[in-house]
Formats: sequence, C-alpha cells, structure tokens
Amino acid sequence: MRTHQSLKSNETLRRLFLFACSETQALAARWQHKPCQTKNIHKQSTRKTPMAELHIIGQIIGATGFPQNSLFCKWGVHTGGAWRLLSGLKEGQTQVDMPQTGDMAYWSHPIDLHYTTKGLQGWPKLHLQVWHQDSFGRCQLYGYGYIHVPSSAGQHRLQCVTWRPLGTWQDQLAEMFVGGGPQLRSPDLIYSGADRYRLHTVGMGTVELELCVILRHFDRYGVES
Amino acid sequence: MTSNNPAVFLLMVNGQIEAADFPEYDGLYCKYCFVYGHDWAPTSGLEEGISQITSKGRGSQRLVWNFPLDITFKSTNPFGWPQIVVSVYGPDTFGNDVVRGYGAIHIPFTPGKHTKTIPMFVPESTSRLQKFTSWLMGRRPEFTDPKVVAQGEGREVTRVRSQGFVTLQFNIVTKDMKKLGYETTSEHSASTGLTRASQQP
Repeated sequence: MRTHQSLKSNETLRRLFLFACSETQALAARWQHKPCQTKNIHKQSTRKTPMAELHIIGQIIGATGFPQNSLFCKWGVHTGGAWRLLSGLKEGQTQVDMPQTGDMAYWSHPIDLHYTTKGLQGWPKLHLQVWHQDSFGRCQLYGYGYIHVPSSAGQHRLQCVTWRPLGTWQDQLAEMFVGGGPQLRSPDLIYSGADRYRLHTVGMGTVELELCVILRHFDRYGVES
Repeated sequence: MTSNNPAVFLLMVNGQIEAADFPEYDGLYCKYCFVYGHDWAPTSGLEEGISQITSKGRGSQRLVWNFPLDITFKSTNPFGWPQIVVSVYGPDTFGNDVVRGYGAIHIPFTPGKHTKTIPMFVPESTSRLQKFTSWLMGRRPEFTDPKVVAQGEGREVTRVRSQGFVTLQFNIVTKDMKKLGYETTSEHSASTGLTRASQQP
C-alpha cells in the first residue's frame, strides 16, 4: 500500500516535473525567440524558391576603326541595386596591343561574372574606355562606349560604338599638335543619359565583344527572355 | 545512370586545332592547355598536348595541324567556364625555338558545332635595344606561365603585338544543365535562327 502510494506520488511528481520542464522551455523560447524561429527559418529557406542567377562569360575581342592602332581598354560592369556580384571581377584593364597586320587591335580579354538578383531593374551594363598608348608611353583617350549585357540566354557577338568629347576649336587645334583632349570628369556619364545635353562629341571606332549569357531560375519567377 | 536531382552537369568537348594563319612565319608547332575555375574538374581526356611541326604547303599559306582535342568536364557552377590556351612556337632566323603567339578562348557554351578563329599575340620588348638583343640572342619575351593569357588580372601592364590567327573547331555536348536550371539558349532566338548561326557547317 505504501509502495503503491509512493509509486503514485512518484508518478505525479514525475508528471509535474515534466510539465515544469516543458513550461520553462516554452518560456525560454518566448524570451529568446531564437531557437524556435531559427529552426523555422531554416526549414523555410529550403522550401523558398532559389534566387535568380545570371552568368556573363565571354571576351572583349578587340577594337577597330580608330585612328591609331596601339590601343587598350578599361572596362567595367555597372548594375542596379537589386543585383549582387557573387564571383568574378567586375572591372579591369586589357593589355596594350599593337597589331602587326591589319587594322584590328586584339585583346582577347576574358570576362566571367556571376550575379544574383532580386529584380529586373538595373540590368548589367558594360562600359568601356578605349585609350591609345604611343611609343613614349603616353596615354590618350580615344573613346567611351557602353552596351547592355544581352538579356536573352545564348551566345552573342556584340559591337559597341564609341564616342569622344569634342572641345572648342582651340582645343581641337591644340590636340592636333600636342595630343590630349577633353575627358569626362566622372565615368558615370558613359552609361547614363542624365546630363548629356550640353556635351558635344565625335564618333570613333567600334569595340567587338563576344558574350554568352546563362540564366538560371528566371523562369520560376515568370520572367520570359 | 540518370538521376532526378543531379548535382553536377557535364560538358563534353570534341574538336581539333585545325590550322594557323601566320603570314611571316613557317615551321610552327603548338601547345594547348585548359584553364578552368575551382568548381570545374576534368573527368576524362587530356588536359595538355603538343602538336607536330607543320610547314606551309605549296599552294596555300595555311599551316595545318589537324590536332585532336577530346576532354570532358564536370562542374556545379558555370563560373570559371573552361578556356583553351593555345601557344604557338617556331624557329627564328638562327634556329632557336621562340614563341610566335599566345591565344585563349572560352569553350563554346551551347551544344553543337562551332568554328572559332582566335588572334595570337606575343609580348613586346620594352625598348628597341631590348628588341635587338632578344632577336640576336634568340631569347624573346615570353610569359612564364601561358595560363596568364586566360586571366583578366595583371594584364594592364603587358604590351603585346598580334601577328596571326589559329582556327579551332569544337563539337559540344552538355548534360544536365537544363535539369539544374541553367538556360544557355533562348527560345526566342532559337526560333529566329540566331543561335544556330554558329552551328552551320
């Protein structure tokens, strides 16, 4: 009888103990908010749709149509706020090429970028500055240009036209003898149309590029391209 | 073995280094190697090779190698897509073996047949005196590692001279890229025939 009673009391004690434990756990969870919620978030993240990714892989092949041949190119890729660069270099400078035969200067500069994005605004733009380096090592600007990275998947052969700011007739005369010439104060103007209305420019040669665009998970968001 | 959730995709490359076009030089041979990112690994085939020495025929100015390429890669990520680096060497006036050109190009991205012509360039000597002494001694400026040609960094200080072309042919097969969600061709351009242009024989 005594043992039965003690067993019964032990059972009640055990149940009380377990109840107290679960209550303190729940209280602790409510205070910290961390253990329960991180478990839930982890489960949700594996169920969420993965983010859209964009790969831009290709080459800046070379340039043609410029007055002199010894050219190099400074390039960069500009995107909107929704895009994040995961791997790759988004700007660089090519080698200086002096072609022995023909007119085209060849750089064969590789581009390999991996972006992830939350929105379509601010699709990547590739902007270029073509410079000429003479035998004395002086660099002169030969052109600015920009091109949008193609928005459809596949391999694309692109031609980017370039332009150069033109100064007053006095500047042009001095340029003929001494070289140099006006340059943009900030390179943002190459790919934005905001403040161009007072600029007077002259067209220069073209830059050839070959880019392959690989899209991933864009169809899950309903994007058609 | 087909799986519903593949973790890697495969890229199979068949092809050849067909011929070269160097107006001023003769008796050339080429070396090739593949440069790829950290996520890529070759599963079969040869990563490097040296071709035979070829000369210009009587009728044409082309230097024909017909050198086979056969390699398969596996990867989880298109970043670091493999590039082939071709270096061409030949004898100079005194008989020394000097470099005649370096060139690199990405392996084509879409399945099918592709013909690519890549320009070849050599590093230039800094001054005319160096140019003369290197011509005399037979020690031309060359890259210590040809793989530099496949990278974008550190090239802003190099001055090069382009002096020839090499033609390559590729046949590409990919496996499981679509299952992993990667689109390398677009439906719209496929209908207008734009992406098929490079696959015309």
